[in-house]
Amino acid sequence: MSDASVHTALRSDAPLVLVEAPAGCGKTHQGADYACDVAADRSNRLLILTHTHAACSVFAERTRGSGSRVEIRTIDSLIAHIATAYHLGLGLPADVPTWARRTPDGYRHVALRVAALLKRHPMIATALAKRYPVVICDEHQDCSGDQHALGMAMLDQGARLRVFADPVQRIFKEAPLAGSNPAHDWATLAKQAHAFEQLDTPHRWRSGCPDLGRWTLLARTALKNGGKIDLRNNIPASVSVVVAENQARRNMEYQLAPTDRRAIDAFTRSHASLLVLTRYNETARSLRAFFNRRLPLWEGHTRSALEKLVDAITAGNADCPKLAAAVVTFMNDIGKGFSPSAFGDRFEKEVREGCTTRSRGKPATIQELARFLLAEPDHRGVAKLLARLAELKQGDADFADIEMDHSREFWEAVRLGNFEDLEAGLAEITHRRAYGRPKPPDAAISTIHKAKGLECGNVVVMPCDSTTFPDREDARCLLYVAISRAKERLMLVVSRADPSPLFQL
Amino acid sequence: MTDTAPPAKLPAAAIYALTIERFRGITSLKWKPSRGVNVILGGGDVGKTTILEAIALLLSPVNPTTLSDPDYHDRDIEAGFSIEAVLSLPAGAGMSGQMKPSWPWEWTGEEAAVPALEHDGKLAGEPVYRVRVRGTEDLELAYEIVQPDGSTDSFPVALRRAIGLVRLSGDDRNDRDLRLVQGSALDRLLSDKGLRSRMASELAKNDVKNELTTEAQTKLKNLDTTFQRESLPAGLDLVITGGQGASIASMIGLTADRSGIQLPLASWGAGTRRLSALAIAEQNQGDAPITLVDEVERGLEPYRQRTLIEKLQTGSSQVFLTTHSPAAISSAATSLIWYVDHTGQIGPLDVTKIAKHRKTDPEAFLSRLAIIAEGATELGFTTAILERAFDSVLEQHGVHVSDGGGHEATLGILEALAAGGLQFGGFADDEGKHPTRWAKLHTKLGKLLFRWPSLCIEENIIAVVPDDKLQAFITDPIGEKTGIRLRTLADRLGIADKDFAALKAKAGADFKARIVEAAVGTVPTGKESDKNEYKAHAGRWFKSVDGGRELAGKLFSLALWPALKPQLLPFCNAARTAIGLTEIADLDG
Repeated sequence: MSDASVHTALRSDAPLVLVEAPAGCGKTHQGADYACDVAADRSNRLLILTHTHAACSVFAERTRGSGSRVEIRTIDSLIAHIATAYHLGLGLPADVPTWARRTPDGYRHVALRVAALLKRHPMIATALAKRYPVVICDEHQDCSGDQHALGMAMLDQGARLRVFADPVQRIFKEAPLAGSNPAHDWATLAKQAHAFEQLDTPHRWRSGCPDLGRWTLLARTALKNGGKIDLRNNIPASVSVVVAENQARRNMEYQLAPTDRRAIDAFTRSHASLLVLTRYNETARSLRAFFNRRLPLWEGHTRSALEKLVDAITAGNADCPKLAAAVVTFMNDIGKGFSPSAFGDRFEKEVREGCTTRSRGKPATIQELARFLLAEPDHRGVAKLLARLAELKQGDADFADIEMDHSREFWEAVRLGNFEDLEAGLAEITHRRAYGRPKPPDAAISTIHKAKGLECGNVVVMPCDSTTFPDREDARCLLYVAISRAKERLMLVVSRADPSPLFQL
Repeated sequence: MTDTAPPAKLPAAAIYALTIERFRGITSLKWKPSRGVNVILGGGDVGKTTILEAIALLLSPVNPTTLSDPDYHDRDIEAGFSIEAVLSLPAGAGMSGQMKPSWPWEWTGEEAAVPALEHDGKLAGEPVYRVRVRGTEDLELAYEIVQPDGSTDSFPVALRRAIGLVRLSGDDRNDRDLRLVQGSALDRLLSDKGLRSRMASELAKNDVKNELTTEAQTKLKNLDTTFQRESLPAGLDLVITGGQGASIASMIGLTADRSGIQLPLASWGAGTRRLSALAIAEQNQGDAPITLVDEVERGLEPYRQRTLIEKLQTGSSQVFLTTHSPAAISSAATSLIWYVDHTGQIGPLDVTKIAKHRKTDPEAFLSRLAIIAEGATELGFTTAILERAFDSVLEQHGVHVSDGGGHEATLGILEALAAGGLQFGGFADDEGKHPTRWAKLHTKLGKLLFRWPSLCIEENIIAVVPDDKLQAFITDPIGEKTGIRLRTLADRLGIADKDFAALKAKAGADFKARIVEAAVGTVPTGKESDKNEYKAHAGRWFKSVDGGRELAGKLFSLALWPALKPQLLPFCNAARTAIGLTEIADLDG
């Protein structure tokens, strides 16, 4: 039984224990259980390093009662903490988290410097290892080389490292920065480990559909070994395969002939707990239209459009035309309908000219919006303008076509107006989001990246064609992450015209 | 993999640097003590004990409650005070158990620096922590750990106790380390956390009420009635219970058998109490607490002082020790000797350079202001002149004039002292040797270093004696040496007659030069075979402490002072200023 051997290995004296943990096989349970055991001895302190705030909350729930002896944080926040303490030696400003947020690849640059600092001064890792004699690394496959270096530095200084990872779920890959440590290789690390164990009991499906669980593990093995998922034989009843050909003209968009979509519509209408998963952002937005905006988009925890807007407002420095352009960009980033032709051009013109032309009807309403900016050429003016825009969408027929697909992001921009200081406002809103742990709606469309770590009764993965899932390492990982979200039923929307090489049809 | 045995002895906690600002008598002090035994010397009231008290406050195992304005320099409460240490801590000293992580600094050998990425191929320094205690303008203490980004976290009692501090204070009444006072050595050794509550419930069983007189019992009963009437808690009883301030545990002290009777250890002599406290601290396994010993000689005979110092020197604790005992100083062979000068600065004494002096005149290092005079004549002369300048004996002001043992040795000692940044005085000739070394000393010591513009003391003084006073100058006031001095002149002039007039007539215009030669013991050319005889002449004139005093006396009795005042008065005033007296316009004749 792998569960038992993992249990034993974690509790051994071995400095480095690796656990390969496919989705849904009780990794969090094993980790949290071990953490509670370690913390039961009041003299111990333990650190759990995750990659997301969501994972932090899950561990916090599962280790409740262990008090402050279990510290749970994202690896980025630990790195930012070290960088803040040593910012003078790293050539960084005192507020490292803000710097990291506001700088392209900021967190990765911070990790690079901290990894170098730990190499130069092992005493810092010593202090960490003394403080945290046991460290659990969750979802280690998502570590960059520099993040991995932090864990290894603590191991070298005497900490016991317990590493959970699923190399087949490695979907966050970025080209390393110049000078950074190369990403770790799981197989090499496994050879280095004093114990290597594998979880293989599909616990997630125990209460739902055990067949689906077993099939998912088989699919994982196929993907991991460079093979194909066999959709011809031994498919459990909980997996349905729909053949449908994308009719959309534009790249990344999605559209089906009415006959092709019938089965999909039936599936999505009959289940309250639903995730429609797709690879690309553009496709996700196109799917929103595909489902007649019946299903909301799951926005996850990132807010790239909002950060872009904040940057533009800061850079705009009370220059009204620049702010107007930023608003138009923002509206088109988070939704549709506030297009240059319909509103944007006229809006920017009004701002430029100071609303001097006499107008009636829709142009007059656009002028009303422009005046918010002219009166307050900063984030507060922008916020008032956006709030008014939301009102108009409800009450004014001219504005009815405007869609805020990323509605949380839109309302966060409105909320920024409540803060005196824009930067502090963004930090506060980001902080609230990180710790408020927003949950996805019962039924939603999501990109696969944003669905990582989630689980759901019913899942549609679409489209499963060669554009989305070519025969590449990253596509294999994404496909596995997507199919392993489903607990009860899985629908794969495949194409015969443009088949993905990862399936055997 | 992990069954390697733990190291036999953990490296002990040690203070690498200490900075005191505006604490009690200390305006500002920066110090890098050694990791072993630090013996702190210096005169009274220069701040030796304050340094120990500052360390004791910083590492106090309890939260001291009382601050008062004298704790603030010049009673300036608004300016606050601060005591900060750069600490090296053993792994087990509790830093990793803090609520928030505390981050190590890098010790460069000079200071705690923020570890940086850049380096010039040098090895990274060892980890240290910066801790401090501040006296705030609200008369409160703020204990802080300073992080490398300048922010601070609390430096809690638990961590201070884990670092450990043993204090053998000079306070005779203090026996806290022999009691179960929280944080005392005994408390740390027994570390029985439940004792307090068990004692409390045990003591509560004592029937105090029935011990009361009938009268007192009635009063207590009446009080109970009043309480009931006024709806206050009633059913009153008397029970032994801890209160604010003294806890029950602090009433528990170590006792020992003395002729069949258990007596509190506190009733033994001060020396025994202090050695006991140290023994308790040592008993804490693997513990090498920072140890403070104020006035090591207190209550200890010289042989026990030597035993204690040798014990401290072989231990692994960092020790801070003050003493006024020559026996203690001479046995501190492997300790680092520090001297606190009259300005409150602390500096190292280079043991090799001052070794001889430490033996012959340890008093020099126990005074507030030490003046190293070149030889016996200068010692006597300087002492006599300064007595006039202070209008009292020098001991009263903690000023000590010491015989440097010759020109070269004096230069060596003064340089050793000045290297530690200390303020000393010096009184020497100009033999025309080592001009750059002397010039360096001059810039460091200023007017506290007196040197004749050229030549030696006898030559400078004889030069200003008018011809009509030469006979009086030669005359020994107590009459002993007058004849023998005349004899030396007669020998040098090659005549038998030692009558003053005859000598003067024979010498002619060279009379003063001949006197100088006799007084300094010059060996005439051609007389090298008798050189010892001629050299000995100096001793018959002024080459002794008394001779120096005689010279000083003659400055005034022969009214020579006005001629030398411009040279000597600034030196006298520098010495006055050094010990906090005002300058004077002249010395009393």
